Amino acid sequence: MERGSFLLPLPQPSSPLDFGNFTILYFATATSFTGKNVESLPAPLSLRKLGDVLEERYKGIREGVLGHSLVTINLAYVDVPEEGEDDVIIQEGDEVAIIPPVSSG
Amino acid sequence: MTTQDQVNPPPPEGESSISLPGIYVSLTDLPLDILSIMDKVRSPEAGAIVTFAGTTRNNFASKPVTSLTYTSYRPLALQTLSSIASSLLTKHALKGIAIVHRLGTVPIGEESILIAAAWLAGEEALEECKEKVEVWKREEFEDGGVWRANRDGHQGAEVKEGSKGE
Repeated sequence: MERGSFLLPLPQPSSPLDFGNFTILYFATATSFTGKNVESLPAPLSLRKLGDVLEERYKGIREGVLGHSLVTINLAYVDVPEEGEDDVIIQEGDEVAIIPPVSSG
Repeated sequence: MTTQDQVNPPPPEGESSISLPGIYVSLTDLPLDILSIMDKVRSPEAGAIVTFAGTTRNNFASKPVTSLTYTSYRPLALQTLSSIASSLLTKHALKGIAIVHRLGTVPIGEESILIAAAWLAGEEALEECKEKVEVWKREEFEDGGVWRANRDGHQGAEVKEGSKGE
């Protein structure tokens, strides 16, 4: 990615479809850990597998970040399903976000 | 795989807000202004505006903080702010509520969050102040002045000079 392109606004759900991919946004500790604010990952992806995919790319992120973070898909919080629970499939064009504990105010 | 890796911090995005009846929430990169947030909730029916200003502190558990920066997931943060505002509006029978959070670097001691609420019960507090607090109002006219008194259920009744012992 060219350096100047950071001037583009963050992709939102309404942004043009990134074929075959979903967008994942990182905030706070997730940004520090990955060194990124946003990237594209291949879709579709089972939500249950998201942790594995991220762990593979960023070793230690599960324990360091994901363990105490929440996940949103298209601006709605989702529960990451446990074994035996119905899974959620992240679709092409979805906007996923890793939400570490917040600290506003 | 396409990569849209974005390592640099996102650029300032100015102000983004949601306005609904009785509700104004916003995220802004600019310094906060208490008067403009009061104007968002001003209501002739309410009788009072209650404000809260949260400021950034120079320490965390006595460890000095040298600088403070806020980032946000703007669309979700606005959605959450709006839902908080909406439930407070109902719970406290407010005429209006506004919440503004500043993003980006906020110098120590400056406001990071402002909350303003137009409050019906504020009128009750004002009434009690008017009844009990030791402050007096004197109105000056071209032909002399008048001390005002709030008593016997009358607001601003004129106190006649020489009516001592009343």
